[in-house]
Parts: sequence; structure tokens; C-alpha cells
Amino acid sequence: MKKTGQKICLIILLIGGLIVFQQNFIEHRKRLLNTNPINYFVPSKVTGLVSLEFKGIVSDFLFLKLSTLLGDKIIKKEKFKQNQADFIYQAADIITDLDPWFWDAYLMADMVLAWDFKEIDLANKLLLKAKKYRTWDFKVPYYLGFNYFYFLQDNENGSKYLMEASKLPGSPEYLPALATRLSVYQNNYGPAIVFLMDLLKSTHASSSVIPLQKRLETLIILENLEKQVDKYEKLNKSLPTDLFDLVKKGFIDRIPDDPYGGKFILLPNKRVFTTSKMIDK
Amino acid sequence: MILKMLSLMKLTFKEGARERAILGIGLFALLMMCASFIVVNFFMRDLHKVAVDINLSAIGLAGLLLTFFVSINLLSMDIDKHTIYCVLSKPFSRSQYIWGKYLGIMLIITAAFFILTVCSSINILLIKSQYAVWFQRFSWMEFYKAVYASLLMFFLLNAIVIFFSTITTSSFLTLLFSISTYIAGQTIEEVVMFLKTSGAEEMALSGGVEKLIGIAQYILPNLSAFDLKVQASHAIIVSNSYMMGITFYSAFYSTILIFAATLIFNKRELM
Repeated sequence: MKKTGQKICLIILLIGGLIVFQQNFIEHRKRLLNTNPINYFVPSKVTGLVSLEFKGIVSDFLFLKLSTLLGDKIIKKEKFKQNQADFIYQAADIITDLDPWFWDAYLMADMVLAWDFKEIDLANKLLLKAKKYRTWDFKVPYYLGFNYFYFLQDNENGSKYLMEASKLPGSPEYLPALATRLSVYQNNYGPAIVFLMDLLKSTHASSSVIPLQKRLETLIILENLEKQVDKYEKLNKSLPTDLFDLVKKGFIDRIPDDPYGGKFILLPNKRVFTTSKMIDK
Repeated sequence: MILKMLSLMKLTFKEGARERAILGIGLFALLMMCASFIVVNFFMRDLHKVAVDINLSAIGLAGLLLTFFVSINLLSMDIDKHTIYCVLSKPFSRSQYIWGKYLGIMLIITAAFFILTVCSSINILLIKSQYAVWFQRFSWMEFYKAVYASLLMFFLLNAIVIFFSTITTSSFLTLLFSISTYIAGQTIEEVVMFLKTSGAEEMALSGGVEKLIGIAQYILPNLSAFDLKVQASHAIIVSNSYMMGITFYSAFYSTILIFAATLIFNKRELM
């Protein structure tokens, strides 16, 4: 009886010691990971082979790894380095080699590469790969069209892909009209707002919704400011010298705050931009 | 003859069902399936894909554990522990013993697959009811086709296990050869495909190695042909002719292996 009691005491002591040790160890591990982050992916020629018959679940795991890596940077408001664009492209390429129909992987890479890195060619390369496999999905040509139109100002290709998207099942009703009137929307934030609203509707995880909402909020402010500049020009037959003129003449109560921490400025071509470039300060 | 094989099949099934490892394997698979409830929340749109991926992988992994830790014991341990003499002293031929064992193992695997498929169907149904919007592209038919294809793969893999049990002298060697054949069977198609791409030129493999891989692709079973998990997770329709093709492939390959196993086992000196 006495011996059993001693053994139980020893086990409790060891558990206590383990908890203390683990706390210390977790800190050490964090420090180690900070100095040597696990931000690499093994090429798909190897990953594919070692995944055996579990390619689907391995692609899910790698996607989680990539999204955690990107999410961590977004939460800590760390700036992306330009060379990380290649890493994100390669990681998404590996994930979609394992599961070529994996839409979350294509979309996340497209959003980050196009919006944060302005690497439209890389984003489009991935979307073209998605187009090869997801032949039923209107979203693939839709996003391709958007990239061509909005980022590359290539209305011809933008219109071509949007028309293609409009012919696929489940596509929004406004697509054919948008595709045919793209040139009207050039130099306008409208399509980007429609695009992001649509994207938000189809996004499930809350952590992914927050950056999209922030971007949408900024675009709505930019669009409204440009509308007020147009109104000002029509009424005063001249352009405001800066956005404060809009406040002085009562078009807006005050210059809104940029959700990204930058400042809104009026350019001589009547366009309103933000110094943050929609990247967290 | 068939009655004798059926009675051996029943005996093997009962023996296998008594293995405690089965409970552990089942519990592991069920826990993995339950984990999909939480894991799907980390994804943005492909919730149906992740749920199907995890559930099908849990079934596949349970099948592998059953094959490597239960099936191997049922035949190799008989030889290892000399319990085989008790069985062979009864009016059974050695061929009947091998066929009976194989059928019994097939029955265990089928029963395990049935239970796990029912559990995963309930699991997916529950996830689907919670996230119905994200399950628009999901097909029960394709899900069950993937389960069936996986079951066919295990029929073949267990025939491989039986074959190696008859030619090796210990259960450890059977395990080693079976795992090696499983890995080679799952990867051979990709290796051959890679060798046909331009990227392979940089590797500069010797002609001998290339020939060896070429021969291996005809000898080794192409187990990756039975993997329809990714297709099922995206409801990509797999044709009925393909399903027929893999059914015959598994049936022919398994029958050849079991016949070869009976031939070897008949000649084997058990003393």
C-alpha cells in the first residue's frame, strides 16, 4: 500500500516536472521556429510518391500549412517579401499537383499573388491550370477575366474569359452584361467591389473573411470619394485641388480613415488612391 | 470442396474477429472520422472535399492496418506458431486451406469496410446537414465507388499477403515484402510516368535501371488504379467501364496469386 502511494506520488511529481519542462520547451521551440521557419514544400514529384493513396488528405494538410503561414503574416501585419511570391506559387502548384481540382488552394494563391504581390502572371498561370481541370466551374474563367481586366487593364482578354464564365452553369446573371460593357468600367472600382462581394458570399472560414472585408471596405470608400469628385467637378466646373475641398464644400463630412492605415489622396487624373496601397502599415 | 472452404472461411473470420487489434483499428478510424468535424472548419470553400478526403483516408488507413497487422497474423502466425498442423490434420487439402484463409480474410475486410462505410456515411451526413451550402458538389455514388475501389485494392493486397506467407519462413518477412509491394504498387505508375517526361532526362538513369522499372510495371500490381479518393471528393464521375476494369483486374490478379500460393504451399516442407 505504502509502495503504491509512493509510486503515485512519483508519477504526480513527474507529471508536474513534465508540465514545467514543456512550457520551457514550447518557448525554445518557438524561438527555433522563428529563426528557422518551416516555409518550404517538398516538390510534388516526391510528395506525390510518398503520399501513396492519400494524396487528397496530404494536399489538405499542405494547404493548411500554407494558409497558416500566410495567415500568421496577415495577423502579425508583416509585410510580404517579393521573393515569397515564388514560394507561394510553388506551394500552390505542389498542392494542386496532388489534387488538381482543389479550388481553395488555387483561389488563395490567386488572391495573395494578385492583390498583395501584383504577380498577375503567376496568379493567371495557376488559374489556367485550374481551368484545365475544373471545366464545369464558372469561377475559374471569372477570376481570370477579372485579373485581366482589373490588374492588367486588358479588356479584350477580360471580356473573353468573363463571356466564357457566363456560359457555365451557376454563373451570376450580371456576367454577360459586365463582359460586354467592360470598357465602360475601365478606371472604376465598381467591378472590384462586385467581385469581392461575390467572393465574400462564397467564403466560409471567418479568418479568411476579415481581410476580404477590409479590402472591400476600402474599395467602397475609394469609389464613393471618386463619385464625390465627379459631383464636385460637375457643379463647380473644375476639379478639387485635394480631398479637403470636398469637405469644405460639404460633399463629405470628413476624409474617411483608410482601414489599412494610409491616407487617401486625389490624383490629377481625378482618381483617388491610398498611400497604403491596401497593404497593412 | 466448397463447403470445406466455407467452413475454413468461417473459422478464419471468427479467429480474426477475436483479434483485439481490430477494436483499436476501428476506434482509430472512428476518431479520424470525427476529427473531420473540426478540420472542415479550417477551410474556406472545399468543405465537402476535406470531409470526403478524411473519411475515405480513415477507411483506407484502417484497411491497411487490418491487412498488415491482422491478416498477416492469421496465416503467417499459423505457420510461425505451428498451429497449422492442427488445421491440416483435419480433412482439408492445403489448397483448400489457402482458399479458405483468403476468403475468411476477405470477409473480415468486407465486414470492416461495411461498418466503417456506414459510420463515415453518418459522419458525412451530419457534416452535410451542418454545412449544406458547401456540399453542392458532392455525390454519394462517387463516394461509394471510391470505397468499392479501395475494397478491391485490399482484396488484391491480401492475396499478395497470402502469397508471401507461403514463400517466406516468418511473419516479419511477409510483412516486409507485403509493405514493399504495397509501396511499389502505389508508386510504380507515377515513376513510369515521370520517366516518360522530359524532366527525367536530367536524372540520367542507366539503361539497366530504366529496363528494370519497365519490367517492374508489368509484374507489380498497379495499386494506384484503385485510388479514386480525389475524384470522389470532387464528385468527378468515374465511368462504369473503369469500375468494371478494376474489378476484373483485382479478380484476375488475386486469383493468379492465390493459385500460385497454393502451388507453392503444396510443395512446401512444413516440418
